[in-house]
Amino acid sequence: MTNHLLDGYADDGTACDEMFDPAGEFRPEYRELGELLQRWTADDHLEREERADLALLSAGITFNVYSEEEGTERIFPFSLIPRIVGAQEWSEIESGLKQRLQALNMFLIDVYGTQRIIKEQVIPEEIVLSSPGYQPKMAGFRPPLDIYAHIAGCDLVRDREQGMVVLEDNLRTPSGVSYVLENRAVMLRVVPDLFPRWGVRAIADYPSQLMSMLLSVRPEVSSDPPRAVLLTPGLYNSAYFEHSFLSNQMGIPLVEGSDLTVGDDDFVYLRSTTGLERVDVIYRRIDDDFLDPEFYRPDSLLGVPGLMRAYHKGHVSLVNAPGAGVADDKVVYRWVPDIIRFYLDEEPILANVETFSALIPSELDHIRAHARELVIKPANASGGYGVLIGAQASAAELEDTLAQVEAEPRNWIAQPLLEFSSIPTFDGDLLKPRRSDLRPFILSGRETWVIPGGLTRVALREGSYIVNSSQGGGSKDTWVLNEGPD
Amino acid sequence: MLSRVAENLFWLGRYLERAENIARMARVEHEVSLESGQEIWHSLVSTTASNQLFWDTLADSPDLTHSEFLIYSMQNPASLRATLVRARELARGLREHISREVWEEINALYLYLALRKEYIASDIQQFCTETQRRTQTILGLYDNTVLRDEGREWFRCGMYLERADMTSRIIDAKYHILLPRGDDVGGPFDRFQWMAVLRSASAREAYWRMGNSEVDGIVVADLLIFSQEFPRSLAFCVQALQRHFQQATGETPKRRRAGAERGITLLHLDIGARDMEQLVDDGLHEFIDDFQQRLIEIDRSITDDIFRAEPNAEQSQQLATAEQG
Repeated sequence: MTNHLLDGYADDGTACDEMFDPAGEFRPEYRELGELLQRWTADDHLEREERADLALLSAGITFNVYSEEEGTERIFPFSLIPRIVGAQEWSEIESGLKQRLQALNMFLIDVYGTQRIIKEQVIPEEIVLSSPGYQPKMAGFRPPLDIYAHIAGCDLVRDREQGMVVLEDNLRTPSGVSYVLENRAVMLRVVPDLFPRWGVRAIADYPSQLMSMLLSVRPEVSSDPPRAVLLTPGLYNSAYFEHSFLSNQMGIPLVEGSDLTVGDDDFVYLRSTTGLERVDVIYRRIDDDFLDPEFYRPDSLLGVPGLMRAYHKGHVSLVNAPGAGVADDKVVYRWVPDIIRFYLDEEPILANVETFSALIPSELDHIRAHARELVIKPANASGGYGVLIGAQASAAELEDTLAQVEAEPRNWIAQPLLEFSSIPTFDGDLLKPRRSDLRPFILSGRETWVIPGGLTRVALREGSYIVNSSQGGGSKDTWVLNEGPD
Repeated sequence: MLSRVAENLFWLGRYLERAENIARMARVEHEVSLESGQEIWHSLVSTTASNQLFWDTLADSPDLTHSEFLIYSMQNPASLRATLVRARELARGLREHISREVWEEINALYLYLALRKEYIASDIQQFCTETQRRTQTILGLYDNTVLRDEGREWFRCGMYLERADMTSRIIDAKYHILLPRGDDVGGPFDRFQWMAVLRSASAREAYWRMGNSEVDGIVVADLLIFSQEFPRSLAFCVQALQRHFQQATGETPKRRRAGAERGITLLHLDIGARDMEQLVDDGLHEFIDDFQQRLIEIDRSITDDIFRAEPNAEQSQQLATAEQG
């Protein structure tokens, strides 16, 4: 007898799964796909997977891994079984994300302005001012349209009890959107037969949405027509493929720091074969600290000397604005629901994960007492580095981390271990439940726009909670269903 | 167009053309070696790279052969493999300026190289044939899928400059045959050598189609230097370089393009004013030497005056005033 892909999937229970409900029945949005997959064998899957990997490899859709020798490229492992989100649920997520970004941008204007939220004691001053993302030099500066965080990526997971929750916000230079677009392109080529009858929401217009957002925040003194560029740290950056991909899709120059120069007039120019050309908007994919060696790190070779002078004079726009990082600090995150209530006078539509800040004595006590039930995270690292899962750690590891927490309480938070949802993912010969998260991208300019879906990342190892690509995670296409006829 | 991008496209054109030439020359050389029983790889090493580097590298790895050095060794920056690795690295940084088809073909060639980490002598023929075919595919795709903007003109400039250089090297490697006559000149060995030259320059069919009935060194050199119709001749390449340079620099200020423009124009006029008879009398080797020197100068002017010119403050001021007004 031939084995089919979903054989035995529900046997271990489906307490929190995207495809199956706890009773082991298909959830409605997955029924059509599930019934198709019940007839697929491992060979059917392997054959498609091979074609997908080949397409990604030959297209050079790769990322660089920092810990390996320079220039090492890998493809981001890709899993063919998509995440599916129903139309109704999506519209709620979308409103929640718009609400969140609206509040976070108001928070940023306030923090670099009158600091009303601190004066009214909604969030402790120390938390805000000690954040590494806080840029004192931005105080008093108001970027065009009062937006600091133009491009955001919010990581969502579905918790067994709470439903969809925001795990973290990424407001500096969130990456991954090129994979969203490429994954869809590969799916359309390799598994056209799996797409649902009523179709899924298209995502191909992300680059044009991004472009109109960039132009909407141009400075008042822009040239005509205005010119935008994408500033990359260069070929060896782990997200270089994405920089190249996006600039190509938008038809704007991909530049390195040395391609730009600031004139005596404090405007920014591009060095071209015909002379200098003025630049109005810079979508920068380099960190604040490297933007301008005259202003931040003097040893930066990536930046443009004088860039911040031009920026403060309102001669050029930077996307995202320097200093936006204070609002995606993992400690500030704990206060985001309060931030939403404070500025919008609304209840948050999307919940936060319960978070304990080691800086608050009562919460530090809680972390010490319940360490085994918590995930302890450094506040200022990304990519899943330094995260300790209490339930899986050895006694020595736990003790070591707790000592670090007490030594630098500002730098640590703790959250309960979430039993977040799994999605069927191919592993050897069958589909197995693997945990996943979802990162939608939100663009804030004259209007706020959310990509329908986003990047679904999946842990490829059994039992793993870590979905980051640098730690062996993979990705999936995300389908937001169109409304059917009923 | 961004100066860095223009420079990299220029070099992408150069490297791809270089790789195609090395692969073709190596293939011919391999066949000639097999057939004649004579190991003549060393002349190819001196055509494309430095002999000194070969002997230095040999000191560290005594098993190194001329053919491995020429085709595979990453210690030789002019080896076929090293050239292609650099071309792919450039292309990776130019993806928004080349078509997806071109990129995927360059990347596929790189993956093909990556699969053959070890040098296998018996595999040379297959390897060179495949590499040459793939490189030609890339050049063809480039011509048919990439927007014909300034960047494409720089790519072509690099390609023709490199081709002119390579053809001149192929001729130079055999110039001694045209020196005052030895016994075997005009004999079977001589004809054999000139046939190899024609094949090294992809010129065999062209030579016969032009109505020649026998292989004559003077006629071969004439074709490779002066032909207006053969797309690898020095005259053809210089003329193409001139045309593409003009198109690339249509909007470049005069003072930035003047040096290279003068160099290319003079070279073009000079070739047009000569003929084969005179070259044989004056010395073919001296002519080729001078030709290569002038290509180097043209390359230097393009790099220093156009790609890497530091814009001055006065210019930026003018530009700002012009735009604000």
